[in-house]
Amino acid sequence: MSDFHDNYPQYELEALHDEAYGKKARRTLWNVFWIMLVITIFELIIGSMAPGHGWSGALWLKTLFIVLTLAKAAAIVIWFMHLGHEVKFFKYIILIPYIIFMFYTIFVILTEGTYSGTSTKATKIDPIFVEQQKALKHGHHSSGVPQTNQAEPAQNQEHH
Amino acid sequence: MAHSAEIDSKEAWDGGVSPFKLSYGKMFMWFFLVSDALTFGGLLISYGFIRHKYAEVWPKAENVFTHFPFIEQHVPLAYVGLMTFILIMSSVTMVLAVEAGQRMDRKGVTTWMFWTIIGGAAFVGSQAWEWYHFIVGTDHGALRNVWDAASGSYVKQVFQGANMVTNEYGVPQFANYFFFITGFHGTHVFSGVVLNFIIFLNVLKGTYQKRGHYEMVEKVGLYWHFVDLVWVFVFTFFYLL
Repeated sequence: MSDFHDNYPQYELEALHDEAYGKKARRTLWNVFWIMLVITIFELIIGSMAPGHGWSGALWLKTLFIVLTLAKAAAIVIWFMHLGHEVKFFKYIILIPYIIFMFYTIFVILTEGTYSGTSTKATKIDPIFVEQQKALKHGHHSSGVPQTNQAEPAQNQEHH
Repeated sequence: MAHSAEIDSKEAWDGGVSPFKLSYGKMFMWFFLVSDALTFGGLLISYGFIRHKYAEVWPKAENVFTHFPFIEQHVPLAYVGLMTFILIMSSVTMVLAVEAGQRMDRKGVTTWMFWTIIGGAAFVGSQAWEWYHFIVGTDHGALRNVWDAASGSYVKQVFQGANMVTNEYGVPQFANYFFFITGFHGTHVFSGVVLNFIIFLNVLKGTYQKRGHYEMVEKVGLYWHFVDLVWVFVFTFFYLL
């Protein structure tokens, strides 16, 4: 029996490599890092410009952010976590059940989520807050700063 | 130490070989990460659901997270941008530690592991700072109906900051999900820093040099990249969208 076991492959050692291979690997990793950094800075610039241009909540902007996020996630999984180097079957074992489960959960929440009703009728929200939001919508549209959220401290001092 | 090597090579595979050409420990780290990713996926989907339900009254992140250390004026999203940079950077140093380990370069592993731990600690600290400013709130606050236990009724008053039932930024669900998801992620980062530190001590002791491979660094690296991966999604869904 022990003779048989002596021939076990040592998978831990298969990842070992020499300096020449390491140099190439490091260049790839740094490239991935720069790409991710550029994507993140781009997202931040677009994100901070959005309120001024009235882009907030636009469908194209949401889609863009989600696509860029998925791109970054793929970069992390493939190059940083080395899933790209694993055998094909192992990639499927990791990715397919997860993706199926996530799509299933999103599907369930989109189809069954209608039970919860609308925000203003079916649930308790602070009425003061609802009034503030209405005023915000009519008064300062797309100003970015919720000025009506600021209460007048003077008239409410007695409650402190 | 020799014991774990024995498990890997002699006891793990009854069929003689690994069906995935992968060591036992690394494979199960992947399986654990899939289960953990399901938890985070569930949390983020439920967040999306609640946010959609309160779409008209959901606060905008660029109006909430405007602080930056040592800067008086409001700089929306800058601080979370810095946090994201720190975490991505520490992910790179981690993967460089793994690469150094694959060349049996003990000095390289030590250096890069050290920077990874520093980056992780900086991220946890930044998150504490972000929480602090979220909880304390702005100077002006906002008018809210706040539950008063003494009189047993709601009292109209200026409320600053956030807790689980009231916050000045908007609906309470916003604060609830912020605390839960970033808190759960922060716990992961913290345990990642602890795990990295334990492995770092073993690297210093030369345990893996003796063993002949640095696979433990690779396993803990998988966990660390996963933490970064989750943050990429949290960053998008909480701060950008």
